Amino acid sequence: MMLMLILSLSVLVAASVLLILSRDTLRLVVGLAMLGGAANLMVFLAGRPGSVLPPIIAAGAETLPAAANPLPQALVLTAIVIGFALLCFALVLIANLARQDARQDSDALRANEPVATDPIKPPVMEP
Amino acid sequence: MTADHPHAHAEGPNYLWAALLPLTAFLALVWGINQHALPWHLTLDWAPSLGLAATFRVDGLAAQMLALITGIGALVFIYASGYLAHEPRSGRLFGMLLLFMLAMIGAVTADNLILLFLFWELTSLTSFLLVGWKHEDAQARAAARQALLITLGGGLALLGGLILLAQIAGVWTLSGIVAAGPSLHADPRLSAALVLIMLGAFTKSAQFPFHFWLPNAMSAPTPVSAYLHSATLVKLGVYLLARLDPAFNDLPLWEFSLVGIGTLTAVWAAVLALRERDLKRILAFTTLSALGTLVLLVGLPSPGAGLAVAAFMFAHAMYKAPLFMVAGNIDHATGTRNIDRLMGLRRLMPWTAAVAVLAGLSMAGLPMSFGFVAKDVIASAKAESEVLALISYATVLVNATAVAVAGVAAVRVFWGPPEAPPGHVHEVPWSMRLPPLLLVLVALEFEFLPNLADPLLVAAAQSISPGLGAMQAATTYSFEGTLTALEITLGIGLLLFLAWDRLHALLHRVHWLDRFGPAAGYEYLLHAIPRLAAWQTRHLQTGRLSHYLRQTLAALLLMGAGLAVLSSATPRFDWPALLAWPPIAWAWALACLLILTGAVSALFLRQRIAVLMASGLIGYGSAVLFLFTGAPDLAFTQFAVETVLVVIAASVLPYLPAAKALPRPGKSLDYILAVAAGVATFMLLLHLAGMPENTELAAWFAAHSLPEAHGRNVVNVIIVDFRAFDTLGEIAVLAFSLLAALPLLAGLRRQRAMSSGS
Repeated sequence: MMLMLILSLSVLVAASVLLILSRDTLRLVVGLAMLGGAANLMVFLAGRPGSVLPPIIAAGAETLPAAANPLPQALVLTAIVIGFALLCFALVLIANLARQDARQDSDALRANEPVATDPIKPPVMEP
Repeated sequence: MTADHPHAHAEGPNYLWAALLPLTAFLALVWGINQHALPWHLTLDWAPSLGLAATFRVDGLAAQMLALITGIGALVFIYASGYLAHEPRSGRLFGMLLLFMLAMIGAVTADNLILLFLFWELTSLTSFLLVGWKHEDAQARAAARQALLITLGGGLALLGGLILLAQIAGVWTLSGIVAAGPSLHADPRLSAALVLIMLGAFTKSAQFPFHFWLPNAMSAPTPVSAYLHSATLVKLGVYLLARLDPAFNDLPLWEFSLVGIGTLTAVWAAVLALRERDLKRILAFTTLSALGTLVLLVGLPSPGAGLAVAAFMFAHAMYKAPLFMVAGNIDHATGTRNIDRLMGLRRLMPWTAAVAVLAGLSMAGLPMSFGFVAKDVIASAKAESEVLALISYATVLVNATAVAVAGVAAVRVFWGPPEAPPGHVHEVPWSMRLPPLLLVLVALEFEFLPNLADPLLVAAAQSISPGLGAMQAATTYSFEGTLTALEITLGIGLLLFLAWDRLHALLHRVHWLDRFGPAAGYEYLLHAIPRLAAWQTRHLQTGRLSHYLRQTLAALLLMGAGLAVLSSATPRFDWPALLAWPPIAWAWALACLLILTGAVSALFLRQRIAVLMASGLIGYGSAVLFLFTGAPDLAFTQFAVETVLVVIAASVLPYLPAAKALPRPGKSLDYILAVAAGVATFMLLLHLAGMPENTELAAWFAAHSLPEAHGRNVVNVIIVDFRAFDTLGEIAVLAFSLLAALPLLAGLRRQRAMSSGS
């Protein structure tokens, strides 16, 4: 079953990369969010999920019996929230960008980028 | 050719008193050697927490270098006070000379490798400032930059070599490494360390193919050339090689590199000296020749070689520094250093002429000079080592050139028909006459009373060749074969001297030397590097996001593949664990199904809202997995996030251009990158699943959660207690993204108001 999950994650990563490279701003953002989700699952997998018991110390007990690994859970919990914040901001951002440029092409978002033939950017020195 | 400075008649401040500093140091050194037996040690705590101590050690070799640095330093300071009498900025030069002297003293006394490196670099930096002292002169600036780039580049190699050597030896002191000596030879990293250290030493001592910075550095004022670029700085590389020689002199790599490069430098510089007309540059090329000879001598395995290094280093400093001062005096008096325009100066500058003759005798290695003793010791060292005949011939050529150059510097410019030199010629003031005269007289005295110099030379020789006994050293002066060799050398040297102008004309026509030599290579590199930078900037920094993303992804994947190949770790695929059924298998299957469906449909769906919803499936899939693998907190968070996201997406989507069909993604390169990323993930995760699990942290958190943080939910305790700062950061990210989104949202609201109003 683990193999199945690993396969799914690999497909997920490949799909995210395709979306990120597609130049469409919405797909770019969605791809990033998907890649973030894949990263979360990888961290989770590194903790070897298997036990169905949550890492909660039962009332009266002092220590934790065999239960799920708490550390990756804590890390992933933080990551989910941060990923969510990033996604929300990115969505608002692309909605604003769409207001300025209806093409929604990520390569067109270069108002502040010098063009390749920019005379100032690279200092070509004559011999 | 112009004078080092115009004959301005404004008196600058006189800094003669500055000579007291090196003089005091010199007298203290002499007193110390008489009072306390070498070697001296000094250890200061530097960074005890790192196990780092500033260790200094003065043995015979260091003492000899110190004598040169402070003794010649004192004379150079006196000389400079006269040379720069009309120079308003001379204070700065004296300051830099002092700084240089301190750096040199530090470099030759440091036993700790880091200290050695620091002082070594400080000498390069002060040399840069001194060479570029006439900074309004473009040529001086270029020469200073060249000296800096080459010696600092070598310094980087040296740093790498020293660190590697320290790791091999396990000690950070030169004396410790020399003591460990042959026990280091088995380490496979030693060759790399030695090559790096030799690079550092060769650049510093201007060995081929890095030799060209030294003649160019002659654009420095003459006191600087006499002090740095003949007597002290350029000997630092030789010093380091000699210092390490006892540990490595029987390694073929070490011996052949030093002998080979040293011989090549000596011969090459001897030939190039014939191409020059500038007296100072001619002297610089013979300095190169001498440095090559010194490196060659360090490389010779015989114990006598140590004595030869010590004697020749001493002799060279004692005749070359005065000769540079002679060149400076001539320049000062006549305004030119071109040997074609200098004739018959004997009558006008008798003192300088006397110095030139005495120093020239020593340089030519004639009997009754200290140079003769050095030549004799060198001959014995070579006889002991049974060097190749080729090297012997090379030495004859090098020595003959030295004879010819001595003739040019001492005879040609001072004797001959008195020709009216340009300008008003006068003898230089006493402060410029006395120091070179003192140096040559001291050298003479050493020749007639060897007891004065011998103890120091033998002590220095024994630090280079510990096998050398004091008795053996004392009886090394044989003078036998030396005289025969001397006759041959003198004969060839005389021929070279007489044919100087014809040889010069011949060599001057060899233009390919200018076009393809190492100096041309340096110029080419200097221009090629910025052009390469410009080229790659134009090609890599296109300003297109998709290009950046492709480059980043490709680089990451290549690095990962490279690491996988290099680490050559055999992947451990734990198939039973991979294929085992987990407790609630249907939940895993459902999660996989949701994730796969989400990923594939996000690719193929064409409506914006549909793409967003498809990506939501991935979140729900993860949540299902979390729910049934003991992570209910995660599952609830993920469910909440995905649900809120639907609301946000629904409110943002109206602002995106209406329901335009999305383009199909990408080019074939994108598919290759995507598949590669997928395969890399697959391999990585398979490998990860096969690795032994480290439960140390999990167990620690489980054990300390209740007693220390009084919480039963371990995940929550980690988040709010053990890793509270992480959580603080997370909250900050949320706050910042809200703050950043607010003005954007306001913009959107304005737009809606406008569109609804119109």
